[in-house]
Amino acid sequence: MQTVTEKLEGMDVWIYHGQINIPNTYSAGAVGSRFLIELRDKKRIMGTRCPACNRVYIPARSICKDCFGQLDEWVEVSSKGTVLTYAIDYEVKPIQPVEHPIIYGIIQLDGADTGFVHMLGEVDPEQLRVGMRVQAVFKKEREGNILDIKYFKPLA
Amino acid sequence: MPNRVAIIGIGQTYHTGRRDDVSQPEMVAEAVRAALTDAQLSIKDIEAVFFGNMETFEGIYLPDHGMTAEVGAFGKPGFKVNTGGTTGASVVAEGFYMVTAGLYDLVMVIGFEKQDCGDTTAAITAAAVPTWAKGAATGAIGEFAKQALSYLETSGAKEEHAAMVRLKADRNACRNPYAHLRLGLKSIDEVLQSPYLVWPLRLLDFCPQSCGACALILASEQRAKKITKKPVWIADLEVVHQEPFRAGIFGDPTGKETYTQHVACERLYKRNGITNPRKDIDMAEIYEPSNWEELNLYEHLHFCDKNEGWKLIEKGVTEIEGEFPVNPSGGVTATNPIGATPVIRVAEAALQIRGDAGEHQITKDINTAMATALGGPNWTVLFLLKRSM
Amino acid sequence: MVKESPKKKAEGPEYIRIKFNAPRLYNWSTGKYLGKVYAEAKENKKLVGNRCPQCKEIWLPPTPVCPKCKVDMGWDWVELPQTGAVYQYTYLVYPLWDPHYGEKWANPYPSAIILLDNGVYYRHWLEEKDKEKLKAGTRVQAVWKEDYEERGQGVQDILYFRTLEE
Repeated sequence: MQTVTEKLEGMDVWIYHGQINIPNTYSAGAVGSRFLIELRDKKRIMGTRCPACNRVYIPARSICKDCFGQLDEWVEVSSKGTVLTYAIDYEVKPIQPVEHPIIYGIIQLDGADTGFVHMLGEVDPEQLRVGMRVQAVFKKEREGNILDIKYFKPLA
Repeated sequence: MPNRVAIIGIGQTYHTGRRDDVSQPEMVAEAVRAALTDAQLSIKDIEAVFFGNMETFEGIYLPDHGMTAEVGAFGKPGFKVNTGGTTGASVVAEGFYMVTAGLYDLVMVIGFEKQDCGDTTAAITAAAVPTWAKGAATGAIGEFAKQALSYLETSGAKEEHAAMVRLKADRNACRNPYAHLRLGLKSIDEVLQSPYLVWPLRLLDFCPQSCGACALILASEQRAKKITKKPVWIADLEVVHQEPFRAGIFGDPTGKETYTQHVACERLYKRNGITNPRKDIDMAEIYEPSNWEELNLYEHLHFCDKNEGWKLIEKGVTEIEGEFPVNPSGGVTATNPIGATPVIRVAEAALQIRGDAGEHQITKDINTAMATALGGPNWTVLFLLKRSM
Repeated sequence: MVKESPKKKAEGPEYIRIKFNAPRLYNWSTGKYLGKVYAEAKENKKLVGNRCPQCKEIWLPPTPVCPKCKVDMGWDWVELPQTGAVYQYTYLVYPLWDPHYGEKWANPYPSAIILLDNGVYYRHWLEEKDKEKLKAGTRVQAVWKEDYEERGQGVQDILYFRTLEE
């Protein structure tokens, strides 16, 4: 990519239009990998349960935020849940991986004690409401990524 | 009267190039648990948590957002620190300030970096002002290459001396189970045949990109004495900043007369009555991104006179068995998880004082130790650790 | 508890690593002090720094406050000589990722710190790529982009420093 510098009209200031472009990798680790592999291979949404706090974390995580316990009890939660809140993003930004507008939702899956951030689809924005029941829609071709869930759609 | 501060818990992960089995927060958690185990404390005892890494080196902004649980910081005071290469030292200093000021009695300080996720040199290049950085994609390597050339041309040292420093680092690292590169290097030629990265700096001359974390638990005098029989006291510390990049050049263009190290040493030595560092201090863990920089630092930290750094390595003064051991852990050319690196310097110096360094324990008695850090803008942080106050 | 399939276990665990590589765009302002350097380079092919009213040191890049005296630098500009001696140099042997270009790229020109004839240190590229001919102390002179339209890229209006035949 060419970078360009130009003088700002009417001022003794120059503007450099640049980029920072560095390849990066997200390393999911053992627990994160297992969560993603279950999505990919079995279309299952897996969490970890803290026996001390009796709390199920979605997505699965290795450490309880309240008691610092090491979590190794895996539980499957439902792919159905309730919308806790949502927002609609109309502004196109270059690095977002799906088409606009994007409806973000925080969904509490049945059997989970935490909110799960994802997207809502197959829904008229007019129909959106907090408390709405939704269900995960999985992609056909899954690759071990959080986007293996395409979005959550309203429960018929 | 400020509170005295002791290191009462030390924990680090093993360091390596790839850690696919853990996410960044999970890797940090390993060091946190190790420090708690060492101090025989629970996370509930820790009042505040300070931590730091080189933000964006893993392509993540605000990494602290994703690891509150894993560092045991949920609901507690504390924050992330990022000061470039000195980050880990700034984190330790931060914890020290908090305890010495009497705000807390028991804090945890953590440094970490998971470099299998990013490109460190590219990130350092991106940190510079674009006017001067474009086309200069050598990150820190280019700067230390220039420093090596200056040292080579003016000090009387030969390439063989830098190779000797590398061999010492490797011998020591081979005795340290936590170290990243344990190569078993046998000869000077092996180092001198390693390929150039940025001339005249070779692959083996420079530090690796490591994954790892290191955590310390700091306590006030009152608490420290109740918790452990072997506290290591942070007797003093010094932080000196410098005018950073000027035209892409460090404050001193030669990269040799580093202002901050002189000022920092002058202040630290004067306050603590140190007139001959090699006699008054028993060992040092220094932050040497390259073997050439270690020679340079011998001089800047006044372990010897100007242009005599290479004579120390030639005479074996800084070997584990030597008169003044430097980096018995293997140092930074063996292990460099950047944000953790300065914390490891302090941790390793403290382990030497406690006598808990294991196979790389210095045989002579260590009562006073020094740990140092340097950063991109040539900032300097020095720590003076003592067995008794 | 979910059990892993025996097949997976025999192969060892699978770990997920997700690569991402998106250019982050930014617009960076020189401010008026560095802007003066850009303007002099484009308009007059001159290299300038500013001078501290107190210690008289010349700063390049220019600065609004003297880093040494901590006083307001004012607007005292000095033209710098375009000749000097190579103080230090390195050349990139192994291509490294350049975040400004977004690719692995080795600048073919060696990087040098040049001691300009008035005592100011300046960093730029050398035209001489033959490492046998590179050495400290070599006299060099700035070579500018001649096309006015191509200039306006700040210090990159200087292509490199060329060895002076003595």
